[in-house]
Amino acid sequence: MKIKAVIWLVIPALVMLLALVLYPTVYLWYMVFYSYHPARDPYPFFVGLKNFGILVGDSEASYAILTMLALVGITIPTQLVLGSLLAILFTAKNTCGKLGLKVLLLIPMMIPAVIIGLNWKMIFFSKGPLNGLLSSLGISPQPWLSEPFGNPYLVLFSLAILDIWQWTPFITIAVMSGIESAPKEVYEAASLDGASEIQTLWHIILPMIKGIIVIILLLRVIDSMKIFDIIYTLTYGGPGIITTTFPFQIYKTGFTLTSAHPDIGYASLMALILLAISSCIAMIIMKLFHIEKLIWE
Amino acid sequence: MQKMTVVLTLISWIILVVYLMPFIWLIGTSFKPIGEWGGPYLIPQNPTLRNYIELTTGGIYGVRGHFPPITRYLINSIITASVVAMLTTLFGAMTAYAIQRYRVGGSTFATWILSLRMIPTVAILLPLVILTRSLGIYNTLTGLIFVYPVIALPITTWFMIGSFKSIPREAEEAALLDGCTELEAFYRIVLPQSTTGLATAATFAFLFCWSEFLIPLLLAPSESTMPLTVFAAYFSNQYGILWGPLSSAAIVIAIPVIVIAIVIHKYIVRGLTLGFIR
Repeated sequence: MKIKAVIWLVIPALVMLLALVLYPTVYLWYMVFYSYHPARDPYPFFVGLKNFGILVGDSEASYAILTMLALVGITIPTQLVLGSLLAILFTAKNTCGKLGLKVLLLIPMMIPAVIIGLNWKMIFFSKGPLNGLLSSLGISPQPWLSEPFGNPYLVLFSLAILDIWQWTPFITIAVMSGIESAPKEVYEAASLDGASEIQTLWHIILPMIKGIIVIILLLRVIDSMKIFDIIYTLTYGGPGIITTTFPFQIYKTGFTLTSAHPDIGYASLMALILLAISSCIAMIIMKLFHIEKLIWE
Repeated sequence: MQKMTVVLTLISWIILVVYLMPFIWLIGTSFKPIGEWGGPYLIPQNPTLRNYIELTTGGIYGVRGHFPPITRYLINSIITASVVAMLTTLFGAMTAYAIQRYRVGGSTFATWILSLRMIPTVAILLPLVILTRSLGIYNTLTGLIFVYPVIALPITTWFMIGSFKSIPREAEEAALLDGCTELEAFYRIVLPQSTTGLATAATFAFLFCWSEFLIPLLLAPSESTMPLTVFAAYFSNQYGILWGPLSSAAIVIAIPVIVIAIVIHKYIVRGLTLGFIR
């Protein structure tokens, strides 16, 4: 009796989420066996397993998966190292204005990603400030968005810089909170034992905040696999397909005519694969964090 | 010791300023007249408000491009983000209460909602475009309000679970003993106690919708329905980029977010990690 009334509270959210998530997933499974593109076909037609066959031979798609993973591989470790170093510097006993530093660090995180893409397009512009800075240092200006230092693949790093710039502060702020939440006695006891500040951080504080860092990193991995806005505004996947990550390849395949196999059915197959990859990581996050404890204890 | 303090503080603040330089450059460019847009200096030589004024009137730059006044897109963004924020905070709070106090759906349901925060939106947008088309709400603000909860609802629900957890149960239990129903206890006793939580959850939902780009790009791409984020991409086309108006538009889009973020700075990490980290 008691539960019955409460169930009504869940209904609106449940209906919404079923329509927005469960329906699309079922639809994707259905479309996988069809071929359709509004610009080409009058209506979807059944093709059986043909989309799976296309996927096996599609070098663009496999390249896009690699790009997505490469981007994660560049951004996450850099954010971790840079973010932690900044946090250590900003929380040092002698640094003043900690709250101000922390609050201003929120700026990159909170700016909409699409604005960050446009902002950095300006920075990377051939006659822009970055090249201006380089030439005043005697380094020749680089085409950051086509082939910096003569190698088009380095554009991936230009792209990675945006995500690193936006989210390093997230790590910094989280680690700062972790360091600050450690009881004062810990530091006092450690310094009485003759440990330096760095030793205290490494041997005592780090083990205390390890859990927090792991969770943040996994959330970052998920989010940096989703990167879309900054690619759209900064490079549009180019030059060629060099900065086309898997989500962007899905967009190009399903919504434009610019990929090798523009087709909604084929895009659905790729979407399911992306869902599978991110669900696996999501499951690891859930396992690591005890949901039960988080909600009810 | 004194010297150490000065050095560390100075280094920290210099690093911060250098770090924020790209954004500071954007602010500088927003005050530059057309001849100085590509200039290699930060401070405008002849500062002007023209870029901001043109945002309200629209601007035409010949073959380099044009843009309509920003007002309509500002309104689109405000309407969609606020409606979704209110809706998802209410529904999220209801769901959170059922989960936190009555374990409705057990940990499976809670976990499922949480996992939705991690879904790559592009993967489910294809069917959603088709769904909104068949419902006749494609390319409308209603369509955006219909789809945005997929990003906002998991956030508000999880934020409210954390809020309700920290509210003591005594008052509710007393009310239930007095013959109050569970729903009345929720509306009359628990909700009024959690106003801070509700406001913060709504703020987060608002920020996420305000910043969303991919969903409106695909669901509301026309000139009358697009929100600010899609409008911002307007300034760059194949003929060139209108750096000045682009910068001023970017500032107009970013400033509310930054102000809100500074006001709720205590909750940011908690919100972005869905309560994993307090």
